[in-house]
Order: sequence, then structure tokens, then C-alpha cells
Amino acid sequence: MIVYFLSILLLFLVAPLLLSYMKGMKMFLLLKQPISIFQGYRNFSKLLKKETILSEESSAITHYAPFLVLSPLLVVMFFLPPLVKGSYYVSFVDAFTITGLISLSTFFLMLLGLDSGSAFGGMGSSREAFISALVEPAMVLTVFSVSLMAGDLGVGQAGVNLAAHFPKEHMASYLFAGISFFILLLAENGRIPVDNPETHLELTMVHEAMILDLSGVYLAIIETASSVKFVIFASLFASLFLPYGLEYSAPLAMLIFFIKLFFIASVVVLIEVNIAKLRLFKIPNLLGIAIVFAFLSLITFYVLGA
Amino acid sequence: MIDFYIGLFLATLIVALFTTRLYRLLFWYAFNSLMLGVLALSIGKSIDDNAMIITGIITIVVKAIGIPYILKNLSQKFHFVRQITPEIKVQYAIMLVPAILVFTFYLSEPIVNMIHTNANYVAISISSLFLSLLLMMEHHNVAPKIVGFLSMENSLFLLGITATNGMPMLVELGIFFDLLMAIVVINLLFHKEELKV
Repeated sequence: MIVYFLSILLLFLVAPLLLSYMKGMKMFLLLKQPISIFQGYRNFSKLLKKETILSEESSAITHYAPFLVLSPLLVVMFFLPPLVKGSYYVSFVDAFTITGLISLSTFFLMLLGLDSGSAFGGMGSSREAFISALVEPAMVLTVFSVSLMAGDLGVGQAGVNLAAHFPKEHMASYLFAGISFFILLLAENGRIPVDNPETHLELTMVHEAMILDLSGVYLAIIETASSVKFVIFASLFASLFLPYGLEYSAPLAMLIFFIKLFFIASVVVLIEVNIAKLRLFKIPNLLGIAIVFAFLSLITFYVLGA
Repeated sequence: MIDFYIGLFLATLIVALFTTRLYRLLFWYAFNSLMLGVLALSIGKSIDDNAMIITGIITIVVKAIGIPYILKNLSQKFHFVRQITPEIKVQYAIMLVPAILVFTFYLSEPIVNMIHTNANYVAISISSLFLSLLLMMEHHNVAPKIVGFLSMENSLFLLGITATNGMPMLVELGIFFDLLMAIVVINLLFHKEELKV
């Protein structure tokens, strides 16, 4: 039980580190002076000290929506597969619960964007609704197909089963599910082929447009929520698709897990540096590929058993 | 591990179906051929067949490096349109591709009952045959049609090496010779295309 809470706390603490690592690595690859790896914590403490100013049009929703954006994601963190062998985990939570909690968080983020009464917020919210509606079917299909391969519908139990028995005989459908989930990881976290997290250009921004009117503590909470969301997706990917190293002793297994997280972040950075951002109306094509792969994974598993 | 390579083979073909740029299409074709070569190498090693290992090496050299390079050079020489938009809209392709896959997976069941081999190899190679046919159908430019033809040849080759546990060396070399002839014909086609413009 102690290991369980410790691992959740560590994941929560490593979240801003991971995002600033990605940003710094990207700046390094573009031959700029990279930012420090601890920039995420500095931003957080700076935002806590700043004054919180709200738009005059905003209602009570702006006061509690930031907390409702963060809290479903924090609940999801308790349902993740274990980092260490023998630690406690929640075994009965399936793909629908996790997808539902993530979309609950997205719903309040969209509400927050609409509430500020500015044109940008509404635009960002409509774009986010458009993307997340396309992400959901592929997400459910992918996690279900992985759960079938692992032999358990619960996500936590699936992670444990995969680590104990790697599905060598289902490599083809496992690979398709992996490709699909990686595209979803990019799309849900607003990384480059879908959304650029660094610009404030009105034609391209999705996530930034919704939080443009926030400041101070609320902005700090939303920033934390987006980093926690990345950590959730990265650790789901690490424990479902790279299930190695769970059998070692507790500190070593945890170290291996965090190395896997940083490895996934590096792959995302390499994709970001090499690929241009897609036009908004081309995004359904990318997510369509994700849906095709998710469906293909299920079909290959059922019909061929491969 | 063979399952993994076959999965990558099909995955690259599906991504090639949705590509809208010529050089990216050539890259996916090269990756597809590379997976085919690696597959031939690993199957040849597991059944200890020297002829298949040689075939795998020739596949990697010719199809994964040679042909994409030649096609790229030719397309630069004849100033081809590099933006190739599929005729079939993506929304329809998203429904069409899984439909083809399901159809071919069930189609391959009686074949598998006849020849005693792994079901998924035959099914995936037949479905990739259909997908390359789709790749030929959905473009009206010459260059992507040629890539579709070449990947159709790739999927036939996959069927050959997985279903028969190694064809005779002579047949495989004959196929490579055919491919060379095809490239010569393609060159003539390109000349004709240039005359039209």
C-alpha cells in the first residue's frame, strides 16, 4: 500500500519535469539554448504568487471548473497499472471508466473556454470537442483489444498479466494496437501533428485558446492538469505496450519505469521536430488511421488469433 | 517475431494508402520491402534454407534501396507532381479498408484448411494484395500506380515465402528479372507521360 501511494506521488511529481524535459530537448534539437529541466516547477511557483484576474463576463463556472479539470485526472492516476511487482493496484476498472473520466475533464475544460466570453475560448472549445469526439472510439477499441490479449478487462490487471506473460503469439494485433494508442497519445495531449503547445497563433491553437483568459492559481492548476494527462497516457503506454522490468526489486523497477517514460517523451519530441503540424481539417485523417488500426487489431485478434 | 514483421508489413501498406505525398509514399514502400526482406531472412534462418536468405538479401538491396532511389530520381528528372491526392475520400477509405480486411480474413479460411500453414500469413498476404489493388485504384497519377503495382508484387512474394516454405531459387530469380523488366517498361511510360505534357 505504501508503494502504491508513493508511486502515485512520484508520478505526480515527475509530470512537470517530463513536460519541461520535452520542451528543453526540442529546443536543443532546434539549436536553441535549452530551458532548464526544472522550469515546470518554477513556472508553477511563479503562477501561485501571481494575482488571479477573471474576465468580467465569467460566471461561477470559472471558479470551480479548474478543480474539476484536475480532479478526474487525479482519480485516473489511482487506476493505473502498478509500477512495481507486489504493490497494490485497482484491478476492476476498465477502459470505459478511464475514457469517461478523461472526457469528463475535457468537458470542464471546454466549459471553461466558453465561460470567459471571448471569441478565442469558444473557438478552442469547439476544436477540442471535434478532436476528442474522434479520439474516443479509437481509445475504447484499443484498450479493449489490449485487455483481450492480456485476458482481463481491468486495465490494472491487464498491465500485470502482460508483464507476466508477454503476448508473443499475438504480436501482429499487439503492434496495431500500439500504433493506434501512440497516435491517440499525440492527439489527446495536443502534441504537434494535432496541436502545437507552444504557439499562440489564432489559426492553430486548440488547448491554449481555451485557457487564454486564465491567470494565477487557476492557470497553474490547468497547467498541472495537462502535464498529469501526459503522464497518464505515457504510463498507460509504458505498462501496456512496453511491459518489461516489473519483476526486478522495487527501486530498480521504478527506475526502469521512469526511464521508459522519458524514452516515450523523447520519441514524441523526435516526431514533433520532424513533422509539420496538420491543418485542422486534416486531423480526422490522422485519427481515422488510428481508428482503422484499432479496429484492425481487434479483427486480427478475433479472426486470425495473431 | 515473424508475426511482428508481418504486422509491420501490413501497417506500412495501410499508412501508404492514406499518404498524400509522393516521396513519403516511396519511403513507406521502401519500409514495406525492408520488412519483407527481414521476414525472408528470419524465415530462411528458422527453416535453414540458404536460398531464402539470399533472396532476402537481394530483396533488401533491390526493393528497399534500389527501386525507391531509382523512382525518386526518375520523378525528379521528369518533374512529376509530388502532391498525390487519393481519389477515394479518407472518410470512405476508413470504412473500406477494414471491410476489405474482414472480407479477406474470412476468405482465407478455406485456403488455410487446404494447405497446412499458419492462417495469419496467408490471410495477411491476400489482404495486402487487395490493399495494393486499392492503392492502384485510388490514384490517377502514374507514379503512385506504379508503387501500387510494386507493392502488389511484394504481397505475392510474401504469400510465396510464407505459404510454401520457400520457392525454388530459379522462380525467385525469375521474379526479380520480371521486376527489372517492369522498371524498364515504367521508364518508357514516364517518357510517354512527359511527351503528353
